[in-house]
Amino acid sequence: MKILAIARNTFREAVRNKVFYLLLFFGVFFAFSSRFVSMLSVGDQQKVLMDVGLASIHFFSVLVAIFTGINLVYKEIEKKTIYNILSKPITRLEFVLGKFTGLALTLLVALASMALLFFLFLFVTTGSFAPRCLIFFGLLYIELLIITSLSLVFSSFSTPILSSIFTVTLYLVGQVLWTFQEFKTRLHEPFSRYVATALYYLLPNLDKFNVKNEVVMEMELSGGRLLAAAAYGVVYVAALLTLAVVIFRRRELN
Amino acid sequence: MQAKTIALFMALILTAGALQFHYDTQVEYFAERQAFVTLPDGKTLKVLSFGYRNLVADFLFIWAIQFYSATHITNRFDYIENIFDVITDLNPRFKAPYLVGSWIMGLEGGRYRMAIRLLEKGARNNPEEWIFEYDAGFYAYRDLKDLELAEKLFKQAAERPNAPPLIRRKWAHMVYMQDNLDYAFRLWKEIERSADDQLSRDSAFHHLYQIDFERDKQLLKRAIGEFRRRFGRNPAELAELRVRGILKEIPRDYQGRDYRYDPESGTIKARRNYKWKSSY
Amino acid sequence: MMAAIEIQGLEKSYPSTFGTRRIPVLRGINLTVEPGQIYGFLGPNGAGKTTTIKCMLGLLRPDRGNIRLLGRDSNSLESRRHLGFLPENPYFYEYLTIRELLGFTGRLFGMSPAERKRRVEEVLRQVGLWGREETKLGKCSKGMIQRAGLAQALVQDPEVLILDEPFSGLDPVGRKELRDLVLSLKHSGRTIFFSSHILQDMELMVDRVAIIINGRLVREGHLDELISRSVRHYELVVEGVDEKAAARAGLSGERRDNRTIIRVETLEEVNSKIRAVQSVSGRIAAMIPVKLTLEDIFMREVGK
Ligand SMILES: Nc1ncnc2c1ncn2[C@@H]1O[C@H](COP(=O)(O)OP(=O)(O)OP(=O)(O)O)[C@@H](O)[C@H]1O
Ligand SMILES: [Mg+2]
Repeated sequence: MKILAIARNTFREAVRNKVFYLLLFFGVFFAFSSRFVSMLSVGDQQKVLMDVGLASIHFFSVLVAIFTGINLVYKEIEKKTIYNILSKPITRLEFVLGKFTGLALTLLVALASMALLFFLFLFVTTGSFAPRCLIFFGLLYIELLIITSLSLVFSSFSTPILSSIFTVTLYLVGQVLWTFQEFKTRLHEPFSRYVATALYYLLPNLDKFNVKNEVVMEMELSGGRLLAAAAYGVVYVAALLTLAVVIFRRRELN
Repeated sequence: MQAKTIALFMALILTAGALQFHYDTQVEYFAERQAFVTLPDGKTLKVLSFGYRNLVADFLFIWAIQFYSATHITNRFDYIENIFDVITDLNPRFKAPYLVGSWIMGLEGGRYRMAIRLLEKGARNNPEEWIFEYDAGFYAYRDLKDLELAEKLFKQAAERPNAPPLIRRKWAHMVYMQDNLDYAFRLWKEIERSADDQLSRDSAFHHLYQIDFERDKQLLKRAIGEFRRRFGRNPAELAELRVRGILKEIPRDYQGRDYRYDPESGTIKARRNYKWKSSY
Repeated sequence: MMAAIEIQGLEKSYPSTFGTRRIPVLRGINLTVEPGQIYGFLGPNGAGKTTTIKCMLGLLRPDRGNIRLLGRDSNSLESRRHLGFLPENPYFYEYLTIRELLGFTGRLFGMSPAERKRRVEEVLRQVGLWGREETKLGKCSKGMIQRAGLAQALVQDPEVLILDEPFSGLDPVGRKELRDLVLSLKHSGRTIFFSSHILQDMELMVDRVAIIINGRLVREGHLDELISRSVRHYELVVEGVDEKAAARAGLSGERRDNRTIIRVETLEEVNSKIRAVQSVSGRIAAMIPVKLTLEDIFMREVGK
């Protein structure tokens, strides 16, 4: 219940923040602007429409995740509002879980509203409904949860600027981590191979959540693959939250 | 409690790694991907990369290197020209992609004309560089056996600033190889005149000797043919060609020595012979 | 009886800027606060008051020593259940209204909705924010923030209140209201531990005082004890002696109307002066021991 109180409060603070709406607005705006981009292209307009729409939603929802994650957690420490929570009978675990739940709820609302508008828009302009996009939105949500957890971990010991840099860097690395598989075979020194292998399995591997192409091109997506991706995401989030709790317990609040 | 939490973290991150391992068995990263279909052209990407054009070019380049060395993907060359076009559009002064791209296209993909197109683009965008046309000329000569194209490319490379003397020699050699003997002779004379190292001088001398020989040989061949038509036999010695008024003078080799003549077969041999052309 | 707050041998240091060594901030604090007391924690800037308080709340980990709140170790969650805390320069979520902040606090204590509603209303009245509870905290004045902070410390009706500089930012009316509130809490059996710089406010309400300087307690005791043990001097008011006679008897002092006010430093001297007055047939109208104020004590300790 205390976790829910913290979650509710986090959610409330997030949705009352102007920047949140600004990002939401931009996401929707760009999704809509795909109409104009698609007019410039020749041929498969629906594909371009979906490409641009999904990409804008992806981009801006990631921004929302990074921004709200770092902002809300770090601000709590920086502005010392955290004293008001931790001086109550609240464990650090409850605090982390509460923050995470609140952020997850915020992201759910943000993503759901963007997705809803996207479907509406797609239906109005092309008269079709692309239910396969739901797969993408589902996996994107998991990706957003990983990003939020990352920002939670970083802001549990670092400044917001560094946290943003770390989170963005890991996000970008996470997007291209799959190339490590190839890269590894090119390393001849055993030590660097071990390091590359370790990094490959430790860092967040986000490529598996990016099924934009598969969805738009109607390529095959096996259930086993989707399930493995989802399981990976859930376990990874749990790992990050545990790490955040470990760091947070050690942390003194000056 | 903290120790338990850390243990939990370890367990979770290992599970995540295991799931990753499992996932990798389900996905063929390169084959399933049809990324290039949607790779926009260079101009569009320039806009889309906002201020990070060079960075995008770098990323694409590094990615392309990884991708094109994944030898198990058989159709990987389908889009290579497009990809390197985009990379070099994004950052036209980034030289490595032209060279590496052309290696991949040529040496791995056997697409030498494509490689040469890429290198010519590199030369256009980097007028101070001779390496692109030099490489291109090399592919044209060695792999396409297109001597004319190779000559053109080596010539352009040789005329770039700071081009090493080697390239002039390649150019002159191409001219020679096309049996354009007078032109080749002039070029090699020029090389000999401006040579400031032994290698150039030697190379020029060898070529001049050989070209001179080939021209004389043609001349003598014609003269011997004429002789045979008139007298029904080969001349007993070359001097007979002058005596019978067919040649005003008997040519000598580049060093002023007499050629060796075999009256039996009517063939001419020089003291030196350079087998650049298989027929000699 | 169990002490409300008990601190034993508390030591705390901070790492220096580059972390090469540790700078001691608290060097062995011992203090006990009995239930029902108002306890003043006094010290110059940087003495270690806030650090001590943060250790009590488990926000900082002490290097050494232990702290018990209502008999429970301060590291346990239970110790915080009956604790209200007002941080120094409190800051709250800008986007919440005062009422929402208090509701949130109530939830953190797991209060039922009905109880929450009742208590929120009660504390709003107690701190004088009733009628202004829908203001967003980002739009509150400093004094309102301070009051809101006090209100959230009171929501679960705690046994022990720990207030770090509760008077800062309050106008004279607000200070008076706060004093009255603290006194009324004391009367209902609560314990209040607070730090302050404003000595007059302290003098008017505290039972006990601790003075901390440079991480050490230099004085600790009942306000009365501290002050009465510290009589500065005595004033004898002498009547029925004219100026010349007084001068002759060695009774020089300030002359007011027909009285002489003589400043005397020790009790010995008081006795000898009384004899001198009697020798010139004078009369002692009053003997006033002039006590130290808290400020005197404080300034003296700081000056050492
Ligand atoms: N995070 C920190 N790192 C290093 N030193 C610190 C830190 N926090 C406080 N200090 C130092 O500890 C000492 C005590 O600080 P503290 O905040 O406890 O003082 P205080 O008595 O509350 O002062 P004030 O009356 O100004 O509030 C000061 O010298 C301060 O510089
Ligand atoms: Mg302080």
